[in-house]
Formats: sequence, C-alpha cells, structure tokens
Amino acid sequence: MLVFFRDGFYKDLIILLVLTVIVGAVFSQGIAWAIDTYFGDTLDGMIGEYGEYDVILHIREEAKETALRELERIGEESFPGYRVNQTLTIAGQANFFFGFPDAYRTREVLESITSYFGAVPGINGYTLMVEPSVLIRGVHPAAREDVREQIEELEGVKFVVKDGNNLVIVLLNEDWISGVTKKIEDILQQYQILELRFPMGFEVDTQEVGDQALAILHAQNTTGEDVYKNVTSAEYGEDLDAFLKTLVEMRDFLGSYASQVRIIPEPGVELGVGELILLEDDLTIEVTGMYGDLVEAMIVEGSPVQSTDRIVQKGYRYRNDGERGEFIGDVEIENERYRLAYAVDESLRLLAELEELSVQASTAVDNAEAVLTTFQEALMQLEVLQVQMRQLNEGIASGEAKSSGEQFLVTLLLNGLFQTLAQGVINTGEESLDSLQNLDIEEMRKSLAGISTQISNVQEIDVTAIMEQIGFVRDTLPDLNDAEIGQSIRLINTYLAGQVIPGERVQLLIQGKPLDAKVFETIFQEELENPYLHTYSTSVGMVSPDARGEVFRILKEVRSIVAGMLSIIFTMIVLILDHATIFSTLKYVRACERPDKRGWKRLFNPLFFLGGTLGTVILTSVYYLSRSQIPFFSLPFVVLLGFVLGVLIVAFAERFSPVHSMELMAGQSLGLSNVQIMREVVIPPSRPGLLNILNRFKQQF
Amino acid sequence: MLEIKDLHKSYGKLVALDGVDLRVSKGETVVIMGPSGCGKSTLIRCVNRLTEPDTGTILLGGKNVLSLNGRELQNLRRNVGFVFQQFNLIGRLTVLENVMFHLVLGGMNQDEARVKGRLALEKVGLRSTEDRRPHELSGGQQQRVGIARALVTNPEIMLWDEPTASLDPILVGEVLEVMEELVKTTATTMVIVTHEVSFALRVAERIVFMDKGQVVEQGAPSKVFENPQSDIARLYRKLLVN
Ligand SMILES: Nc1ncnc2c1ncn2[C@@H]1O[C@H](COP(=O)(O)OP(=O)(O)OP(=O)(O)O)[C@@H](O)[C@H]1O
Ligand SMILES: [Mg+2]
Repeated sequence: MLVFFRDGFYKDLIILLVLTVIVGAVFSQGIAWAIDTYFGDTLDGMIGEYGEYDVILHIREEAKETALRELERIGEESFPGYRVNQTLTIAGQANFFFGFPDAYRTREVLESITSYFGAVPGINGYTLMVEPSVLIRGVHPAAREDVREQIEELEGVKFVVKDGNNLVIVLLNEDWISGVTKKIEDILQQYQILELRFPMGFEVDTQEVGDQALAILHAQNTTGEDVYKNVTSAEYGEDLDAFLKTLVEMRDFLGSYASQVRIIPEPGVELGVGELILLEDDLTIEVTGMYGDLVEAMIVEGSPVQSTDRIVQKGYRYRNDGERGEFIGDVEIENERYRLAYAVDESLRLLAELEELSVQASTAVDNAEAVLTTFQEALMQLEVLQVQMRQLNEGIASGEAKSSGEQFLVTLLLNGLFQTLAQGVINTGEESLDSLQNLDIEEMRKSLAGISTQISNVQEIDVTAIMEQIGFVRDTLPDLNDAEIGQSIRLINTYLAGQVIPGERVQLLIQGKPLDAKVFETIFQEELENPYLHTYSTSVGMVSPDARGEVFRILKEVRSIVAGMLSIIFTMIVLILDHATIFSTLKYVRACERPDKRGWKRLFNPLFFLGGTLGTVILTSVYYLSRSQIPFFSLPFVVLLGFVLGVLIVAFAERFSPVHSMELMAGQSLGLSNVQIMREVVIPPSRPGLLNILNRFKQQF
Repeated sequence: MLEIKDLHKSYGKLVALDGVDLRVSKGETVVIMGPSGCGKSTLIRCVNRLTEPDTGTILLGGKNVLSLNGRELQNLRRNVGFVFQQFNLIGRLTVLENVMFHLVLGGMNQDEARVKGRLALEKVGLRSTEDRRPHELSGGQQQRVGIARALVTNPEIMLWDEPTASLDPILVGEVLEVMEELVKTTATTMVIVTHEVSFALRVAERIVFMDKGQVVEQGAPSKVFENPQSDIARLYRKLLVN
C-alpha cells in the first residue's frame, strides 16, 4: 500500500501538509484576532479609556433622557470639566459613565455620590470604577477603620473610599497596583473573624455568649499579644439569612401545597427514609419521614388523578431495575391543592348566584312595595266602608235615619250584602278588620326600604370584578404538579444541606495569630456546653482583581479558546475534505493487495498509524502556531486528540469520501501510475478542499 | 502468449480460484463461460493484476506477471486491453478524453493521442459523440467507448469481462457486432468472458467452462457443444438448443 507513495505522490502530500498547517494557523489566529479586536474596541467604547470614568450610574431606562439632562446640569454646576457617557442598557437599566475632573476625584466626593446624584430621576444605584485602584470586598465593619488607616499609610495610595461594605483603594498610578495589593493582603491577614453559629431554634443571648467565648479565648491566649474583640452584630450578613429563611419558608409552603401522602405499611414491612415506592398510575413516591406507624412520603414522579377525595392506592417496592417489587401496603393521597381549587371554584359559583339573587331580590322588593301600596289602599277603602257600615247600623238600630222607603230598602240590602261579604271573606267582620288595621304598614315600609337599600348595596358591589379577581387567583395558583413540587423540595433541601440555617450568631474579631476554627469548635462546644454550635473562620475582606484587568484577562482567554476550537474544527474539516479522499483510496488499494501479511502485520493497519500521525501533525502545528490555549488541553492531550481525529478519519474515510472504485480500476488497467491515478482520477471529483485546489495545478485533464 | 498455472485466490474463507490452468496462444480467441460466482472475473483480473492472486504463476508474452512492479507493471497493463462489465469510464472526461488521456499520461503528445483516439472511436462507430460526457450516452455507446479505450493502445491481448451483461437486450447487438468485427479484423489475442452462447459459437476458437474456481472442460465450440462432458457444458448446450 505504501508503494503508493513511491512514485511521487508523497511530494504532493507534503506540499499539502505544509500549506494546510499555514492556512490553518492563519485562519484560526485570524478569526481569534478579529474577535479580540472587536471585543477590545467594543469594550473601550463601553467603559472608556483607562481611568476615564469614575462611577457608573444605573438609571431606569424610561428616565434616561431626563437623567442625562440632570447629570449634565450637575456636572456643569459642581464638577466643571466632567465627562459623561451613556453605554449599554441592560434589562431595563441604562448605565451612565461619569468621570470627575482630577480636582474633584477625592475621597469626599466619591463617598458622597448619593448626595450629589441621589436626586437624578430614575437613579437605581451606582458602582465605583475609579482607576487605578484596588478593591477590597466585604470588609467587616469591626475592622474597617483599622484597616483603612493602615492602608492610607501605604506608599502609592492616594486615598481610600468606603463604598458600602467595600473599600476602594485609589492609587497614584497603576504601577503601584501589584505592590499595594500585596501589602493590603498582608494587612488583611492580621485579622480574622471567628464566628460561632447556633442552629435555628436556639435562643441565646449573643452578647453574653460572645463575652463568654471571649473569656475562653483569653484563657487560651498564651502570649497575650493578640487582641480579641466581641463584634457580634445583627446586621452583618443579614441578606443571606433572610434568603435562607425564605427558602425554608418556601420549602414548607411547597410541602403543604403538595399532595399529602401517607403509607400504611403491611405488618412486617420495613421502610426507610428516602426509599422509593411505586404506585399504580405510574406514580413514584419517596419516603420523607417515619413517625412510628405513620409513614409520610412525597410524590417525586407522576401526577395523581385530580380529586378532592382521598385516593388510596397499592404501593410496591421500587426495584433496582425500575420494576415493581413486593407489595408494601396501601398508600393514601390527599391533595389540598385540588381542594383549594375546588373551594375557589365553589365560591366563584356562589358569587355568581349572589349576583343573580340580588337582582331578583331587588325586583322582589319593588314588587313588595307595590303590593304594600295596594294593600294599604284596600285597607283604607275597607276602613271607609266599615265606618259607613257602622253608621248605617247605628242608624238602623236607633231609627234615626230619616230615610225614604227606597233609601231604607237599599240600606237593608246593602247591609245584608255586606254581612255576607264580611262573613265569607274576612270572617267575623270587625275583628279581622281590626287586626288588619293593627298591622303597622309604616314599619313594614321602613323595613322594606332597609332591605331595598341593602340589596342595592349588594348590587353596587362589583361582583364581576371580584369574580375576575378570584378567577385570577385561581389561575395563578402555581401550576405545579406533584412531581415538580417534589423535585423543588429536594432541590431546596440539597441547597440547604450545604448551608447553615440561620440561627443565632456570635462574631469575634481576632487580631494577631490566626486561630484554627475546628480546634476552637471543640473547645467552645465543651466550655459553652452546647454540642450543636459550629465555629467558622472568615477573613475581614477580600482583595478583588481590578474589573477592567479582569475583563481583558478573560478576553484573552476567550481568544485563545476560540483559536483552539477553530484549530480543532479546521483540522477536522481538512481531514474530511482532503485526507479522507486519500485514505479511502489507500484503503481500497490495500484491500486489493496480496494478503501476504503474517502475524501481527495482519492486525496492524499502517493506514491508521499514518492517519493518526497526519492528524497529530496538523492539529498540533495549527494549535500552537495560532497560539491557542484551551484550559486543560496540555501538549500530550492535543497530540492525542490529533491522533484520534486522524484515526477516526481513516476509519470512516469512505463515508466522507467514497471511492469511485470503477474509475480507479479503469485507471489501473490503463497502466497509469499511482500518482497519475490520484491526480487524474481520484482527486478531481473529490470534495473541494485544499487538496483539490492544489491538484488543479498538476492535473492534465 | 498467456500461460496460467495452478492459480489460487481466496477472499477470506471464500475460495474464488482453486488451481486454474489455462493457456492461450497468440491470436487465439478464447471464450470463458460458467455460472455466476465461479471465478471468471477474478481469473481475468489476475492477468493484469487488478486482482492479486494468492499463489500460482502467470506468464504473459514470456514475462512473469506476478513478479512485476511499478513501471514494469504499468507497461504490461498498457499492453493488455481490458473491457469492463460496467464500462468504468471516467465520468468527468469527454468521450474523446476517455479514449486518449492514458496515452498522454503514458508520454504521447496530445495531437498524436487525439488522432489515435478518434481513429479508435471510428472503429466503434462513435466519431460524432467525441465531445459528450459518458452519462449523455446510451449503455451500448458507453461500452463501445470502453472498447475504443481498450484498443487504442493496440494491445497484444484483450480481456473482456462480460461486456454485454449490464446492457439492455436491445443494445447488446451493437456491442456484439463491434466485438465480432474486431475479432475478425485484428490479430489480437482475445479472452472473452460472456454468457452469449451463440456469439461464442460464432467467434470462439476454444470455449473454456469454469465451475467453482476450476476449469472443468475446454475445447472447440463444435466439440464441447456436441459432446459435452461436464454438467456446465451440458447446461449451456441446453441454452443453445432452446
Ligand atoms: N473483492 C471481493 N471480495 C470478496 N469476495 C469477492 C470479491 N470479488 C469476488 N468475490 C467473490 O469471489 C467469487 C468469484 O467472483 P467472480 O467475480 O470472479 O465471479 P464471476 O464468475 O465473475 O461471477 P459473475 O458472473 O457474477 O461476474 C464470488 O463468490 C464473489 O462473491
Ligand atoms: Mg464477473
């Protein structure tokens, strides 16, 4: 097979290789350089030249025009010679860079940013970026002034600005950065905060415990040179505490929101916390707690049917292969979430009914009033009639009535008629009428009016709005299913496991020889008689790298990584476009050869070795010529990667570049040399890579 | 002219040639017949080393073919015309280029090669198609280009590997005609693998029957067809009678 190279094709191959490496290096480095330049320029445009700006003002996007005008006004009024520049707007927040003229670049000004710019419309905070400077983050308040004084004494330091919990050390010029940084680290190292934490639920008097702990420290202090202070304060680190507490609350809330799962184990069945149980309906639950006979669990996979009733299902052990194991007992599932949703739905219905009812009631009141009026009129007429009747009766009885015969007759008739009427309809006449009259119509009217007002009050309530609101609440009830809740709880638990749940805390400032927190943990546990407390050691501040320097360092890293990736991609492309053609041909030729190989030679395919070497040469050269640098990619790794790529290309050569075996065979039968076969038959119809392009200079047909 | 002795070739466990002996004299036309897979192609490909045999000897014009290498092998191959079943033309070259490019690559100047190429195309009746590409031609025409390409070097021997087997039945005739003409008008030694029985009867001086990698019977066409000794020969006689 290697005879193939003897008649001159190896020259083509070497030219190809050299050219490939050059093109690859230029390509990879060129693109990386372009990226570098682009980002570098963008960055300069964004954050200005070194030392050009001193503070970034974060301003709500909608206020940025007014804010800019205000900034310009402040600038002209208070800082003549100021510089301002609006840069990126990120997530609704515009960022203005503001630079003070040298005369105003002082500790006083930089510590009073809020008083100067606090009234700028839409302001949302600021970030100091004075250059050249060294930043110390999280400086403990107890040590701050001490540290500050010492740093101000350092050579090269112009002044020190307190910025929240940070200290910004402004330097005379950037040559001082590394020297001052080193010295600051030395200063910070003299201090240590020893922290005693008590688990949640422990109510301790932190001042008192702090003093006790201090006494213990003093007792341990042999030299007497070191200074210890009780610096326990409630403020420091409150944010994290609040966050952790919120997480705990959230977990409990989620827990109550999830389906409540109880297992009633069969006699003799042993369960353990964390064990998985499979239910019917493809549910998986995890045992979360065991309290005697009561075993609690939560759903970690699947959703139970939506039901407000208690669901009972059969539980089976979860076997390693994911199949159901033995039956372990009944499992009850109750879902408060569905109940809540049900209750909300019901109240919605009730409201709808109520609205309907109020309309009907108001109609009813109107009707009642009409009835009352009619009734009253009827009553009044009845009264008149009664009076007349009484007069009539009396007249008849006394005989005073001087009536004609006709009149008398009529009266008689009427009287009879009325008697009948009165008896038939209103029963014993006068009595009924009296009781009717006793009805307090006015009272009735009043209460009717009251009802009417109440009803119209009800009608005035915007029931529709309430219903909409409740509907909204129902819809926004977290749309989580049990499995998701289960996962969230697990997640929170995992996070909390790595955290100390906030509890009481005592802080001691140590100045001098650092103490070993672990050693003192045991001592404190014994002396304070509390085996649950933990002791941690923290520093009083951390020196952070200069932001800009950091950005450029990252950029450089990105550039090298991009170049590295490109080298790999380039090598793969070249191998696929060019070398796959060669290798598929060589593999074909090799297959046609007389198999006179014996022993290991039959197993050893020199093509793989050749491919690996080619891959190594190309990748390694391109990688290093383009100054690539991917983290964890050492030279041996790059060499190996190149080799593997090469071997892979050989293995799959036919896939990338199929052999036209018929044309190849024709070439052989016509007495062409191998190099001629490559140049005239194999390469021209192959993929258009470097090989193909180079070949055009050699090709005769 | 050609002398093959005890030739063996296996593809892994599969034995393709199992001790083949064959002699072909100068100018002779020999037709090889046999069932599919019996090793015919393997045998004639060994002659110009398109396939490497495992053991045995091949003498061609007095030269030991199997000992040749590099340039010597190339020279030998130029002296052997080979016609493929699938034509094996170079797809990207024109018809004329297909017929002449190997002359140029062998050192002849372009003009001379072109003249020779056109002459060869004329012999197979394809002068008019010289600027077309193979895929623009019918199968029969493509195979005739293949024939022209093989004979343009005036080879001492031509090897034909089922030249009509992949053709439409209608197109077989034109190719056979060209072949018959060639056999009659040139003195070239011909070894033809084919299933065309009546063609074999017309042109062959000797028919060789192969089966399972071995030569099972050979002789003049009249003799082998009238009085077949092997099962294979009897089978082919049946074909002829039908
Ligand atoms: N490159 C190869 N690799 C493996 N086996 C092969 C190869 N070429 C041929 N064979 C096998 O060798 C045997 C002989 O093949 P050969 O092509 O010589 O037969 P043939 O007589 O020409 O058949 P056909 O009439 O089908 O062309 C067959 O079984 C075939 O499958
Ligand atoms: Mg064949």
